[in-house]
Amino acid sequence: MGATVTQRSTSTDSTVALQDAVATKHPWNVVVWNDPVTPMSVVVIILRKIFQYSNAKATKLMMTVHNEGRAIVWSGEKDRAEAYCVQLHTHGLHASIEQDN
Amino acid sequence: MGATTIFIRRRDGRIEVRLNERGRDFVRRQFERLMAVDGEADHAWRSVVNQPIDPADDVDDPVWVLERERVASSNTELALVTVDEEFLNNAEAWAWLCSLQHVLRGISLEQRLFSDEDVAARSDDELNDVRVLQLLLFELADVIES
Repeated sequence: MGATVTQRSTSTDSTVALQDAVATKHPWNVVVWNDPVTPMSVVVIILRKIFQYSNAKATKLMMTVHNEGRAIVWSGEKDRAEAYCVQLHTHGLHASIEQDN
Repeated sequence: MGATTIFIRRRDGRIEVRLNERGRDFVRRQFERLMAVDGEADHAWRSVVNQPIDPADDVDDPVWVLERERVASSNTELALVTVDEEFLNNAEAWAWLCSLQHVLRGISLEQRLFSDEDVAARSDDELNDVRVLQLLLFELADVIES
């Protein structure tokens, strides 16, 4: 972050570029939200299909959704996070993306 | 894995659908309800089918919106044209599962079932469709995994 301050005094363009670069270091999270009607096993097989997770990992994530109301099921680049989120939507799960702080 | 009775995995990999006429009528009606969402901009289920990708943004990327609508529509169409089939392949079974799941969430939104307490407060009659859809989804998920 210190490098951003140095760049800001020399060039606005490079400041913007650097800020973008810094911003991309914060990954985007794909979040699945709890709902009171979806069967647990449905959440598990959807997570396994989309993310190729093991049964144990998908089950653990499903239980986090169930107990905590939400779970981060994947983190990484924004484009991929959006694509995964759209896949979760087309499978009928309540999901969204957010940037990690 | 519990034994399923509605959907059975055959040795050749296909999934047998053991629904009677009444059961198929129920499923057909649900798929038709989902199809109707496409033609109605202010349909009550709209926010289930078109939920925001990033709630912090005012508008979703139109490319993703189109992609989601395309996949959701083709799933529902596939589910509807196979509703009388005795056997489903895996792709068709997934189309059923996605469509039934959308219907379930659409009904839960319509009935304002946002928490376990909301569900507990409803009568068995009010929850009849929800329970049938949950059973179908539970059994379908089980057999897809098998």
